[in-house]
Amino acid sequence: MATITQSSPVTAEPKAGILSNIKVTPGKAMAHLALLLLVLIWTVPTFGLLISSVRDRDQLAVSGWWTSLTTVQRSFAGVLGTPADQVQEDDQFVIRGNVLGDDSNQVLVGFGTSINNPAEFPAGSSVEMRTGGTITVSEDGSYVWTSPTAFAHNRVRLFYTSQVPPRFTLDNYVEVITAAGIGRAFVNSFTVTVPATIIPILIAAFAAYALAWMRFPGRTLLVALMVGLLVVPLQMSLIPLLRLYNGIATTFGGSAKSYLGIWLAHTAFGLPLAIYLLRNYMAGLPREIMESARMDGASHFQIFVTMVLPLSFPALASFAIFQFLWVWNDLLVAIVFLGQSQNELVLTGQLRALLGSRGDNWEILTAGAFISIVVPLVVFFSLQRYFVRGLLAGSVKGG
Amino acid sequence: MHKTLLAGASALVLSLALAAPASAQAVELPDLSGQSLTVFGPWVGGAEIAAISAVIAEFNEQTGANAEYVGSDSLEQQIVIDAQAGSAPEVTFFPQPGLAANMASQGFLTPLPEGSDQWILDNYAAGQSWVDLGTYADANGEDQLYGFFYNVNLKSLVWYVPDNFEDAGYEVPETMEDLIALSEQIVEDGGTPWCIGLGSEAATGWPATDWVEDLMLRLHAPEVYDQWVSNEIPFNDPRVVEAIEAFGMFAKNDAWVAGGAQAVGTTDFRDSPAGLFQVPPQCYMHRQASFIPAFFPDGTELGVDADFFYFPSYAEKDLGNPVMGGGTLAAITNDSPAAQAFMDYLKLPVAHEIWMSRSGFLTPHQGADLAAYADDTLRAQGEIMLNATTFRFDGSDLMPGAIGAGAFWTGMVDFVGGASAEDVANNIETAWSNL
Repeated sequence: MATITQSSPVTAEPKAGILSNIKVTPGKAMAHLALLLLVLIWTVPTFGLLISSVRDRDQLAVSGWWTSLTTVQRSFAGVLGTPADQVQEDDQFVIRGNVLGDDSNQVLVGFGTSINNPAEFPAGSSVEMRTGGTITVSEDGSYVWTSPTAFAHNRVRLFYTSQVPPRFTLDNYVEVITAAGIGRAFVNSFTVTVPATIIPILIAAFAAYALAWMRFPGRTLLVALMVGLLVVPLQMSLIPLLRLYNGIATTFGGSAKSYLGIWLAHTAFGLPLAIYLLRNYMAGLPREIMESARMDGASHFQIFVTMVLPLSFPALASFAIFQFLWVWNDLLVAIVFLGQSQNELVLTGQLRALLGSRGDNWEILTAGAFISIVVPLVVFFSLQRYFVRGLLAGSVKGG
Repeated sequence: MHKTLLAGASALVLSLALAAPASAQAVELPDLSGQSLTVFGPWVGGAEIAAISAVIAEFNEQTGANAEYVGSDSLEQQIVIDAQAGSAPEVTFFPQPGLAANMASQGFLTPLPEGSDQWILDNYAAGQSWVDLGTYADANGEDQLYGFFYNVNLKSLVWYVPDNFEDAGYEVPETMEDLIALSEQIVEDGGTPWCIGLGSEAATGWPATDWVEDLMLRLHAPEVYDQWVSNEIPFNDPRVVEAIEAFGMFAKNDAWVAGGAQAVGTTDFRDSPAGLFQVPPQCYMHRQASFIPAFFPDGTELGVDADFFYFPSYAEKDLGNPVMGGGTLAAITNDSPAAQAFMDYLKLPVAHEIWMSRSGFLTPHQGADLAAYADDTLRAQGEIMLNATTFRFDGSDLMPGAIGAGAFWTGMVDFVGGASAEDVANNIETAWSNL
C-alpha cells in the first residue's frame, strides 16, 4: 500500500504541468478536430446498433436505423370488415372500422383500391369499391363503407399510404432478458470468466518476475519460446487438449467437460500474452529499487510481493481487462470444453441459441449485444483508473 | 429403377395404412432405467429445442432412461472434435449426409441392425431414396446403412400472397410451362414476378444452388442428378449448364426479378421474402424451402396472408413430381443399448407425431398420422412429401464441402453477377478435379 501512495504524487505532478502548458495552436486545433472526427466515426456503428436494438423486427427488415428518427411514408394493405360486421341504417348497409388498427399513431394520407396505387385518393374522399358500395376513409384510418344492398363479399383489402412516426420499443430487450436460460447463462459466464482471469494473472506475475529479474541459464530462450507460443492458433490445440481431458476423465473418473477444464484451458491460452506483457513491464521497473532492496537483504519473494507487484498493478489491471473481455466474449472454447446443453451454455452461446437455427430472430442480436456488453463495461470502468494511471506513469518515467 | 420402385411404393401406401400399426407394435423398447443418453442435434431455437425435448421426454417416459438433448449451430465442427477426442454423444442428428458419410468412413458411426433398410423401404415414402441417403462406405470400404432421416424439409416450394394473385386474376400454375407463362403475364401487367436473394454471410449463394438442383430434377432424370452430385458426369456437362441457364432465365432477367438482376447477389435471403408483402408488391413469387415463413413479417397467417405451391415440373418432360429437400439423419455416434433403443424409438410414429403437432417438421413416415400436423400448411407440405415420386436430397449438401459449400456457392454468385453458365460450370469442375 505504501508504494501506491508514494507513486500517486509522482503521477499527479506532471499531469498538472502538462495541463498548464497547453497552448492553442492551429496545428493542435486540427489534431483535436481530427481526433473528434475519428471518435465520431468510431462511435457511429455502436450508435446504430443501439438504435436498432430499440426498433421492432418488421421495421428493421425494411429500413436502416438512420431512417428511424424521422417520419416516413409507407404503404400497407388492410383487410376490410366482413359481411358479418355490417349494420343496416335506414335503407343502407354500413360497415365501419379502422384500417390502421386501434392503437396506431399513424396518419393516413391516401388510399386506393388497387395494390399498385395505394395513394390514388386523398384521405377523406369517397370512392366506389369494385365489390360494390362506396367507401370513405378519413385521416385517422376510420372508414365508413356503405351500400344500398347487403354486403356479401369474401375478403376485401384496402390499400393505404400513411405517415409512420418513429416508433421505439424495448421488446427486444424484454425478449432477451426473459428468455429461458439467460440468468443461468450469466451465472455460467461469471463462473467461467472470473477464475479464468485470476488464475493466469497469478501464474503470469510470478513467471514474469522470474523472467525479468532472476538470473538463470536459458532465460532468454524461455522468453523467446513464450513469444513463439503467442502465434500458435488456439484452434489447433482443441482436439489434443480435449483428448487429454477425456483420458484424465476416464482414468480418474469425473467428466471431461467441467469448469476446472475450461479454467485451465483459458489459463493456458492466456498465459503467453500475460507473461509477455508483464515481463516487459516489470523489466522496465528501475533497477536501482531492486538492487537497494537486495542490499537490504530482501529475498526474491519479498521483492516480488512488496515492491514489484504493487508497482506492476497498472499492467496487471490492463491484462485483467484484456483477459476478462476475451473470456467473456469467447464462444468457441466454451462450447468445446464446457458443452452445449442448456445448463452449461455461457452467455454468448445462449444468445446464439436465441437467434434460432437459421438466424430467424436476428433482431434480438442487437439487444443481446448490449446486454452482454454491460458486464465488460463495468469491469472496464472500475479498472480504468488503474489503466490510465499505468499509461501516465509509464510516460512520466520516459520523460 | 426408382420409378418402378416408387410406383410400387405409392401403391403400397394404402396397404401400409394397415401395416404401419403392426410395425409399430413390433418395436419393443427395453427398460433403460438409470441409463443416460446424450442426443446431439443442430436445433438451437427455443421452439425447436422445446419440440425435440418433448420427443425425448416421451422416450424417457417409455423406457425410464435419462436422455438429454444438446444442440449446436456448429454441429459440423463440434461432432468431429468430439468424435476424434473420444467424447462423442450417443446419437447425433446430422444436418448433412456428406458429414455422416465422412464420419462413417473414419469408423465413428455404428451401422444400424440388420433389416433396417427393409423398415425404411416399407415405411418411408420414396423409401429407396432414403435408404440410399443413409448408406455409406465404412472404414473398410463396405457399404452399410448407418441412419435414417428424421425431420425433413421441402425445398421445392413457391411462396405467394393469395390475395395478390386473386386481385390480379392469376392462377396457381400446375406446370413449369404455366409458371413461365405466368411470369411473362406478370411482367406484361407491369409487375415483377420473382424475389430472389442469395445473401447469407459466409454461405452467400446457397439459395441459388437449390434453384439449380430443383431445375436439374425437372429437366433431367433423377439418375442424371445422382451422377452430377457424385461427379460421375463433370460439373460442366451440357445438362448441368442447361440447368444453370434455366436458373438464369429467372434470376438474370431484369424484368423478372425484384430490384433487377444485380440485386439478386446482394439481397439477403432472409430479407427477400419481404418483397411479397409490400404495397405495391415488389414481387409475386418466392421460391424457398419450407422454413422460410419464419422470416415473413410478424402476424402473417399462413394459408391466408401467404401460401405456397409446389414448384412445378415440365409437362412435356414426363419426369413425374420430383421433390428436393433436406433433413437431418439420425445415426449412432457412440454405441450403447440406450442408443439402439433410441433409434428404435425414432421408428415409432409417435416420435414423429409429437413434433408434427408443433411446427417446422415434416416426415416421409407413412405410419405417422397426417392429422397430427399442426396446421393445414404443414399438412399440405407433408402430402407433397408423401406423394413424391422421387425424393432427392439437396445436392450441394451431398457434394464435397469444398464444392457444395464453396465453389458451387461462389460460382452462383459469379453467375448472377454476369459470368456465363459455361464459365461458372468450368470453374467449379476445375475446383472439383483439383480436390
